[in-house]
Amino acid sequence: MSPTRRELLEAGWKVGSGLLVAAAGWTTFEALKPLADVSGGGVLPLLPPDAYPEGSATFVREGRFFVTRAKDELFAISQKCPHLGCAVPFCEASGRFECPCHGSVYNAAGEWISGPAPRGMDRYPVQIVDGRVTVNTMVLEQGAPLGSRLYDTPARGGSCAPADEA
Amino acid sequence: MTEPRVPQSRPQGWRSWVQESALYRSIIRSPAHDSPRGRAQRAFGNVFLHVYPVRVPRALLRFRSTWRLGFISTVLFTILLITGVYLMFFYTPAVSMAYGDMQLLRSQVGFGQLIRNVHRWGAHLMVLAVVFHLVRVFIDGAYKAPRQFNWVIGVGLLVVTLAYSFTGYLLPWDQLAYWAVTVGSDLVQYAPGVGGWMRNFLLGGSTIGQSALLRFYVIHVAVLTGAFFLLMAVHLWRLRKDGLAVGDVAPLAHDVTERADDHEAITVAAETWLPDGRRVLGVVETDEGPGHARAPEDEVFAWPHLIIRHQVVALAACALVLALGVAFEAPLRELANPNVTPEPSKAPWYFVGLQELLAHFDPLVAGVLAPGVLIAALVALPYIDRNPSRRPQDRKVALIVFWSLFIALAVLTVIGALFRGPGWGFVLPWEHLYFEP
Repeated sequence: MSPTRRELLEAGWKVGSGLLVAAAGWTTFEALKPLADVSGGGVLPLLPPDAYPEGSATFVREGRFFVTRAKDELFAISQKCPHLGCAVPFCEASGRFECPCHGSVYNAAGEWISGPAPRGMDRYPVQIVDGRVTVNTMVLEQGAPLGSRLYDTPARGGSCAPADEA
Repeated sequence: MTEPRVPQSRPQGWRSWVQESALYRSIIRSPAHDSPRGRAQRAFGNVFLHVYPVRVPRALLRFRSTWRLGFISTVLFTILLITGVYLMFFYTPAVSMAYGDMQLLRSQVGFGQLIRNVHRWGAHLMVLAVVFHLVRVFIDGAYKAPRQFNWVIGVGLLVVTLAYSFTGYLLPWDQLAYWAVTVGSDLVQYAPGVGGWMRNFLLGGSTIGQSALLRFYVIHVAVLTGAFFLLMAVHLWRLRKDGLAVGDVAPLAHDVTERADDHEAITVAAETWLPDGRRVLGVVETDEGPGHARAPEDEVFAWPHLIIRHQVVALAACALVLALGVAFEAPLRELANPNVTPEPSKAPWYFVGLQELLAHFDPLVAGVLAPGVLIAALVALPYIDRNPSRRPQDRKVALIVFWSLFIALAVLTVIGALFRGPGWGFVLPWEHLYFEP
């Protein structure tokens, strides 16, 4: 049965209003969606490998990561805690990364030891190019899953968080 | 029972000359206050006062009938609106300027720091007032029919209030702001599937930077204000249309059943022939409306009885935030530094209960599911709890569930706010207090 003129107009204004709302939503979405991330990083040439001895953690401000060495392997570990994004400092006393926000602890390779984090700390790939440690910050590798601890060494001292004693 | 007496005096001398002039009468059509009609005119003849009904239940005059919590929230919102507009004159939402503007406000702008203090303490108090308003409405069972939808609107206003606080928190661009918002926005990431994308949409990028600051600013001053006024208009409109729960005789379970039976009887009558051969064509149902059980002597005129009480409460609220603003400085830590997380890094106090929960559970559970389910349960409450009775002895389950949740949240908040220190370790507050409001 063909619709009457009244039915057609009634459907017409509903469809028209619907389209208007959809257009408004689309416009808003297109306008507000984040621009392509321009801070994509780059390839950072650093010091020769000998500058990063076992047990040290050197912070590289340009890329917001630490360069560490564990079991003779070099790591570039993103400073951002995989839990809720706090900046994780390296605790010289214990030789571990200890997050100040919710107390997650990671070893020198960024592997998860304790706390509420869902995985180990994220890493950037490290290469030795022309005798220099080179870190590619365009590629962020997800941290090791919980329980995977290939580079673990015992804590060398007390924790930096006074909380452990309380 | 008669209307409480209000002393009246006719204006004398120059006042009467002013008030009887044609100009004055063209602006304010001041009626004679000594007649019921005059008092009614005061409320509905004034664009601002006609938010009030002409007559209100006498029970509403008792402070403890509502603790004036909804009204106090509105007063605090007004204070925040005025101080907020003032702050907008001196604030630039740019990463390079925001923190400097805060310092300028303190050192260069007359009363600048005081205005900022009042805005800060007013915001904290408004969160408190809104939460206690919700608690009061729950305890009184005022969310039950016919007021279910207004409860939902109220929950919307609570969410807007919290969003106001959270977006405002970032604006000073100090360490406190930066890290509280980092923790808060990274929570969104754990929402399954769309989390990371939602977080980036909110921040306008993958990190908290210029676009996040600008977005939070626009949401804070414009988007939420629009939403607040819209919801508030519906909230007050529904309050007037649905009537106040205060002074309404709380219906007991059997009353409601009886009324339903009456309704059925009338509907049946509409479809039958009367014995004398006439047919009933229609039945005009008497819409008893809100407050049907109220006798005229249980009501008083809103002007002056309720309005004068509201004026006193409004002045007291202003005095309180002003006193807090004079006594306590709003915190301002060092400039935001993405490389250094301060110890400890706490969310604003009303989210610190969530942060405490995060230390014990998976972020998906503690950060997304727990608050999501809580808000959903609040919205659905009047539709789940169909028990019509508003007497506490008839609604033991609802009250026990509500109080358990409320106490659990309060305990988590107190532990998170007062008993947590660096690395989220346990610290006794009298040994070292790590709490910055």
